[in-house]
Amino acid sequence: MKKCNIRKSDMALNGITYLASLLCELILLSVFVFTFSKGSSLINWDLLKNDYWSKNYIVESSADHNTASQYEKPDDLSHEAYFSRRWGIALVDHVSHEKEKQVLIEYIDPKSPFASVVDGSAGQNKGKELNLQVGMRLEKIDFEDQNGTAGITGTILSENAETVVKNLDQTAETLTSAYVKTAGGGIRGSIIATGYLILVSLLIALPIGIAAAIYLNEYATKNRVNQLIRTGIEMLTGVPSIIYGLMGVTVLFPITKAFGATTTNVLLGGITMSIILLPTIIRATEEALLVVPQNLRDASLALGANQSQTIFKIILPCAVPGILSGVLLSIGRVIGESAALIYTMGTFISDAPTLLTQGTSMAVHIWSIMSGEQPNFELASAISIILLIFVFLLNIGVKWISRRLQKEWH
Amino acid sequence: MRTNVKSYRNQKRNRHKIRRDKILKALFFTAALVSASAIAIIVIFITQKGITPFLNGDVSLVRFMFGTQWRQDQGVYGVGYIVINTLLTSFGALLLAFPISVLSALFIAKIAPKPIASFMTTIIELLASIPSVVYGVFAAGVITKLVMNMAAGLGLSTAGGSSQLAVILLLAIMITPTITSLSIAAIQAVDRDLELGSLALGATPTQTRFKVVLTSAKSGIFAGAILGIGRAFGEATAVAMVAGNKMFGPTFHPFDITRTLTSTMLSGLKETTGLDYDIRFSVGIVLMVVILLSNLLLNAIRKKIGKVSG
Repeated sequence: MKKCNIRKSDMALNGITYLASLLCELILLSVFVFTFSKGSSLINWDLLKNDYWSKNYIVESSADHNTASQYEKPDDLSHEAYFSRRWGIALVDHVSHEKEKQVLIEYIDPKSPFASVVDGSAGQNKGKELNLQVGMRLEKIDFEDQNGTAGITGTILSENAETVVKNLDQTAETLTSAYVKTAGGGIRGSIIATGYLILVSLLIALPIGIAAAIYLNEYATKNRVNQLIRTGIEMLTGVPSIIYGLMGVTVLFPITKAFGATTTNVLLGGITMSIILLPTIIRATEEALLVVPQNLRDASLALGANQSQTIFKIILPCAVPGILSGVLLSIGRVIGESAALIYTMGTFISDAPTLLTQGTSMAVHIWSIMSGEQPNFELASAISIILLIFVFLLNIGVKWISRRLQKEWH
Repeated sequence: MRTNVKSYRNQKRNRHKIRRDKILKALFFTAALVSASAIAIIVIFITQKGITPFLNGDVSLVRFMFGTQWRQDQGVYGVGYIVINTLLTSFGALLLAFPISVLSALFIAKIAPKPIASFMTTIIELLASIPSVVYGVFAAGVITKLVMNMAAGLGLSTAGGSSQLAVILLLAIMITPTITSLSIAAIQAVDRDLELGSLALGATPTQTRFKVVLTSAKSGIFAGAILGIGRAFGEATAVAMVAGNKMFGPTFHPFDITRTLTSTMLSGLKETTGLDYDIRFSVGIVLMVVILLSNLLLNAIRKKIGKVSG
């Protein structure tokens, strides 16, 4: 009887461990399912190469080529597009992620007046040739009818693609100007800024981190100073990243100011990240140095090499895989970091970030579009997918390297 | 012999070599010193900037520490209720995550067959490597909906799902991998002889796992919990997405919106000068003190309960 009870309670106890692990799997699965179902529709090259902000253009048609004629509808035009036979342009309806109705350009005939327009916006580019591209948003078209009376059509009057095409075909005789916007919604600027961040932070953190690890592992004897240094570095790992952000704006901002920065900037973010990375790199390097057999050091020293030669020619080459895994971990950390960067780089999404201007990394880009009035889940999830893929690839890389590292000596 | 060594060392070539060695050692030492002094710099500068609002008399320290209102628009800054909120959400998350983490750690380390164990380890590692903003988007999209449905089921209403419960669930998910991976290490480090002894005494494998292995590993498991709660205190962006930033408090109702120290530091960040900006450094000090104190407390508890295993 008692045995039976024990067996039952054993099964129950085992059962809850199964349930707990199942729950972990479910969480990971639901994160995946959510981000992929929300964001996968946006994953394409345009997302990676487009600007985030859409640019506005007023375009004017050239005077000798602004009248209607006849154009052939291309065979491969999609069914949702409306084609204007007299102007050689096809338009399509579209609803943006902010739930805004838009009319997009789907196709332009190479001989159409729309294919040869010039920039009409005031500024230094006025009069220069401008190519209207597929995917641009058409806001407004100004035209004149056969009596010379001016008319307008477009989304400004909340007209859809069908009405715009009808107006063009039935009333418009000469084209005056058009107001278009580029697509926007891309993350090219954030990708560039993330690249800068990775470069700057690794350039600073790698030499310092490796040197510190070498000191701790190769030179440091057990005394109080070295113990203090070790404790200091270990304490860095427990500091929340938002505190690093505060430190960045107070302590490190003067450094970037010396380079000519006036606001928070990408360089500041990079320097702040380098301090966040230090403990990671130090630990990874130290772990690699620890597994280098003592025999190698002794042999090198016995052959007459001094300590610095031993370090640079014998020990460091052996530690390269460990350092590499530290680099991969660091890149993952930089890609995923947000709180520290919100303070040090600002949340303004820049399409052309430089080291000394504001910009956002991909993670901060997500924060920026999620903390507004209308959170843009689609774009946030699409960027999340990119982050997840990156982080997982780096993870696999680290695992692969550490497996090789273990094999090397055992 | 001694003179031989000395003359050998004093050869020009070797003097050079030895000096280069010394310079290099100094360089390496500097690097280590720079890395270690970062923590001192962080503490000193943030404290310095954080106490200026009190020294200038812009905010009274007592009203800041024990205040129950945070109104940026009126210049009323009271962090007292925010500390309570932070403690509630973090310990609530720990309460949820701790059993799940320990049980799955036990499953991975002792129960599961090898292929399943390595598969589960990968899953825990992946969970740990997901960036916090991604968790934030997930929380804003899924957890808030879940909380909203739960509230609706109970006949309550929420502010679009942003609530204390949502923060607790989010933090629990985020600290689970941390606690799990440390618990796995602790469980694997348990002496095999202890287990064999227990089995030899007639305990079933399950009894051994729960009564011998877990008890012996509890010091290490507790270390995981300490690390986990540290992460919960410091988590910023994801929490700020679902906290809702209540202006007064403390919040005890799980479906009410809340405000944590970190979400306060991130909310309405526009200017980079002025009192509204500087006060964030004061909140930063409070955050560091909260983390330090709870670490000390939990470590003391760990020492006390850890002793039994000897």
